Amino acid sequence: MPMKMSRGEKIAQYVIVTLLALLCVSVLYPFLYMLAISLNDGADAAKGGVYLWPRNFTLINYEIVLGNETIRNSYLITIGRTVIGTFGGLLVTLLVAFGLSYRGLPLRSTILGYILLTMLFNGGLVPFYIQLNHLGLINTFWVYILPGLFSVWNMFVMLKFIQGIPEALVESAELDGAGPVRILMQIIIPLSKPMLAALGLFTAVGHWNDWFAGAFFVTKQNLIPVQTFLQQLLAASDLSAVLGSNSNQEALARGSQLQNITLMSIKMAVVMVSALPILCVYPFLQKYFVKGVLVGSVKG
Amino acid sequence: MYAKFYKYRWQYLMILPGVVLLLLFSYIPMAGIQVAFRDFQIGSSIWNSPWVGLDNFSFFQDPQFLTVVKNTLYISVLKFVFGFPAPILLALLINEVTRPVFKRFVQSVSYLPHFFSWIVVAYILQSFLTLDGGLVNQLITKTGGEPVFFLGSTEWFRPMVVFSGLWKETGWNTILYLAAITTIDPQLYESAKVEGAGKLAQIRHITIPGILPTISIVLILSIPSLITVGMDQIYPLMNSANQEVADVLDTYILRSGLQQGYFGMATAVGLISSLISLVLVVSTNQLSRKINGEGLW
Repeated sequence: MPMKMSRGEKIAQYVIVTLLALLCVSVLYPFLYMLAISLNDGADAAKGGVYLWPRNFTLINYEIVLGNETIRNSYLITIGRTVIGTFGGLLVTLLVAFGLSYRGLPLRSTILGYILLTMLFNGGLVPFYIQLNHLGLINTFWVYILPGLFSVWNMFVMLKFIQGIPEALVESAELDGAGPVRILMQIIIPLSKPMLAALGLFTAVGHWNDWFAGAFFVTKQNLIPVQTFLQQLLAASDLSAVLGSNSNQEALARGSQLQNITLMSIKMAVVMVSALPILCVYPFLQKYFVKGVLVGSVKG
Repeated sequence: MYAKFYKYRWQYLMILPGVVLLLLFSYIPMAGIQVAFRDFQIGSSIWNSPWVGLDNFSFFQDPQFLTVVKNTLYISVLKFVFGFPAPILLALLINEVTRPVFKRFVQSVSYLPHFFSWIVVAYILQSFLTLDGGLVNQLITKTGGEPVFFLGSTEWFRPMVVFSGLWKETGWNTILYLAAITTIDPQLYESAKVEGAGKLAQIRHITIPGILPTISIVLILSIPSLITVGMDQIYPLMNSANQEVADVLDTYILRSGLQQGYFGMATAVGLISSLISLVLVVSTNQLSRKINGEGLW
């Protein structure tokens, strides 16, 4: 600050810092609390009084959660759909945006109009479901991938970004005899990397967090993603979903400890397992997210 | 003519997958809206199902439906009233922080909840509010109060939805405002200081006018969402004890359509709600043209 702060401004600064610090605590504390519960003996935690760190430390909750076939499988489904859905989605979106970036393309505005229309109006959930059923996608892994593969919103953001690339670059490449495919590979993709990173991250988070498709378009338990498993467990009244026939036998064998396991402690361990990857990668990727929002918001 | 299309053959090839996907997952479902006027059973063909006129629209007489509409509007208005000003206030607060390290830290932390699913949010609420050992109820009983059944209460449902919505999205929604603030000419503040304007006066006469265009765009963009309450948020928190206030259009469609098999009726409800949001979007666009001189598209 170039100027000295007055007394009033100093007080105001303290108040602001305190308020914002409280806000940070309110965001971070729930995770700390859930972590503490998940690392604490269940029956002991149920007595209350565990607020910040585990009082009766144990890893049994995580042993059970990570030893559970269903949970491990749901994790694989989530990773699979996130990877395939993100790269596939980026590819389709980039191709469409690049194709439509040619202003001379015949029927360009008609195609853009029909694409825009889908953002304004849709058939609704039930006709969508009927169509998924008709295509035979219900109860398959591809129901997670195909319907969301082409994101209209991301395409428009990408299109605007490509149109911002100096035309001289493309034109000089064209004079050198480069076709659209080479222009895409050698000019557009290298220049779009930050944008692709941002859109890819949003798509990946969307896949990671989606529970809806798994809950309503899939009934086979071996196809559900982590978030759908969490959603089912949320309303569970006992541990049968986790301690079913296929749970970790070794952990179960320690019968004395098993009695101390509570639904809440298991729930907290499962939710931490699903949230940790995001908590871990978030600090490194945050700037890309912010960039993505800003590019997407400026009207072109 | 043919030569012109041929010249762009690669571009068309690139667009093709997108067009096919839109056809399959947007346009065919739009054609499927006719289910609203037919007696459709799953397994049969839409086109062979008998027409039933407006029979599927009898939900208008269903008292449950009126409750659902009321709940939807109630929740979305509440979320708007709190959710719209909150990020503006937070952005103004963050902007006043003088230490850059702390400022960046607050931004990072406040964006974080945006990246967790509503399911995770529901778990947080459960761990804090549940009757047996929830943190808040622990504190209530410790101070001699009676534990409250927050998760299954009709009075606490709306506050829970509004509060968890604020917790999850307020920080994230400051991004646009903070970006707008950085575009304000610093000289304006300098000359204001020279003229003896205090901090509050600077905020009122420089910062707020500076972000006003952003505020108006965000306001306009949030109008269409007034009739859709994110079912992502509502569904995990809804149970038989609070359904009376929690049931919104989206959950109603989901239950009657996918779970109970009233495909025609659920499609009809969806059609009405899509039409209303279409009207809202289009009129919002007109409004934006009038105010900002340009539409949203």
